[in-house]
Amino acid sequence: MSAILTSGLSKTYGTRPVSSGRRSDPTVGVQALSDLDIDVREGEIFGFLGPNGAGKSTLIRILLGFLRATSGSATVLGQPVVGDAPEIRRRVGYLPSGISLYDTMTGEALLGYLARLYGRGAPRRQALLDRLELSAATLRRPVRDYSRGMRQKIGIVQALQHDPELAILDEPSEGLDPLMQHAFYDILDELRRAGRTIFFSSHVLSEVERVCDRVAIIRAGRLVALSDMEELLQRRRRRVEMRVHGPLPALDHVPGVSGVAIRDGLLTCQLEGEVGPFLAAIAAAQVIDLTIEPARLEEAFLEFYSDDVPGKQP
Amino acid sequence: MFAWGFVLPVIYATFGQDLKELVEGNPLLSQFSQFGGGDVFSLHGSIALGFIHPFTLVLMGIFAIGFSTLAVAGERQRGTLEVILARPISRHVYYLTLLLAGALFLAVLLGLHLVASIASASVMGVLDELALTSVPLLWLVGWLLFMCFLTIGFAASVSFDRLAPAVGITLTIVLVSYLLEVVGSLWPDAAWLQEYSLFHHLAAKQVLDGRLMPADVALFATVIAAAVAYAWVVFPRRDLAAPS
Repeated sequence: MSAILTSGLSKTYGTRPVSSGRRSDPTVGVQALSDLDIDVREGEIFGFLGPNGAGKSTLIRILLGFLRATSGSATVLGQPVVGDAPEIRRRVGYLPSGISLYDTMTGEALLGYLARLYGRGAPRRQALLDRLELSAATLRRPVRDYSRGMRQKIGIVQALQHDPELAILDEPSEGLDPLMQHAFYDILDELRRAGRTIFFSSHVLSEVERVCDRVAIIRAGRLVALSDMEELLQRRRRRVEMRVHGPLPALDHVPGVSGVAIRDGLLTCQLEGEVGPFLAAIAAAQVIDLTIEPARLEEAFLEFYSDDVPGKQP
Repeated sequence: MFAWGFVLPVIYATFGQDLKELVEGNPLLSQFSQFGGGDVFSLHGSIALGFIHPFTLVLMGIFAIGFSTLAVAGERQRGTLEVILARPISRHVYYLTLLLAGALFLAVLLGLHLVASIASASVMGVLDELALTSVPLLWLVGWLLFMCFLTIGFAASVSFDRLAPAVGITLTIVLVSYLLEVVGSLWPDAAWLQEYSLFHHLAAKQVLDGRLMPADVALFATVIAAAVAYAWVVFPRRDLAAPS
């Protein structure tokens, strides 16, 4: 079963004047999401990528019942998202981007209060506190004394402490130091092993590449890519640098190789797909040095965001 | 509110007769002494004055307006509303819970005010002038008046993402209503304005004198019902976009 399934989901915000702002001007809605079809499988960590304003938070807020879709449909854990949808939120944990907390409460009181609103216990709380190094002494202090990173840790704990079937995390590692980011990735691994589903919205490409099984890339409210992380990276071009003693191998017609250039004895090219044909082509050459840089998600992302990519929606 | 409820019967018992003699025969002072339908020449008048005095308005208004506008628009502006609503709580339940909490608190505040007035009248030896059976009615009508402001505050609160317009609209309604009552009570030619003031329909002295006007209660009930119905319909249907 799908943890999240959307079909033709669109959202238009209000209306605004097209030109000068006069009443007589025609008006147009702000299209935040457009015909979005995504399918998040149960038990996976699903990355949802896009820059600020791409529509990531809009989708999340529709799934939680905070916003109403203009058209299309969505289901969360098999339940259709209709209206306020409190029954869906009972099974979901949510970390909003830049979470706001009640400053006068202590961390301990706040976590207790937010857990009680679910009407059930907080079986994961202690493990999360231990992982994120939130001590009992820290939790006895009011939230106003917390640093940004500590607030983010409280945000993570409040989203996961009741062991939800689906966790929707919007920019979850924001404000965490590198050590705590690693601790957080370990938490995600544990949740994945426990069969929980994570919807991971971010614009930090490196962490999405590191933790997610599949990734969707959204641009101006439209889905421009949805694929396994491995598959997405496989399709990307790797950069190759090679120094050869003697005659250079002929690479022009090798499948997957493009952009061959030679400068000061250094051969550079781009390699896409299978490596085998390339290795076969250079087998006879006396290679002194060879570097094949791994494909990065960042390159895939930038490709989807370059305006001149044919076939891509603006 | 308890201390304030205690003070006015003391003023009546101590200075009421002297003040009455002072203003009698002086039309200007006489007009000013009738502020908001209350006075300090009788126990009922002094208790009534306590209900509509600016001090009461400030105390009760701060709570009724502050609580209701902070509860939704304030939480929304701070970003904490989405943390609460991420829980399995429907917006109807959220609204009703806060409305009931506000209503209960207003009832307790006004109850304390009246209990203090009764205690004060007893201490000053004028309790026999008070129609005790009318006190619960006054409590009810006073509560309804401030419930109007609380529910109007909630209606404004569910309509906006920012605190300022919610407070501004509610405060404007309360202050204009109060201004109409004050101007109408102090200026005979403008007495007709009072009909348009919610404060005028409290008529606390009349209620204590045993002349409760059902139309006043109906008016308050209508305002409350309209404001609650508006919030009930609008709040769950509103888009709650990400806080900016």
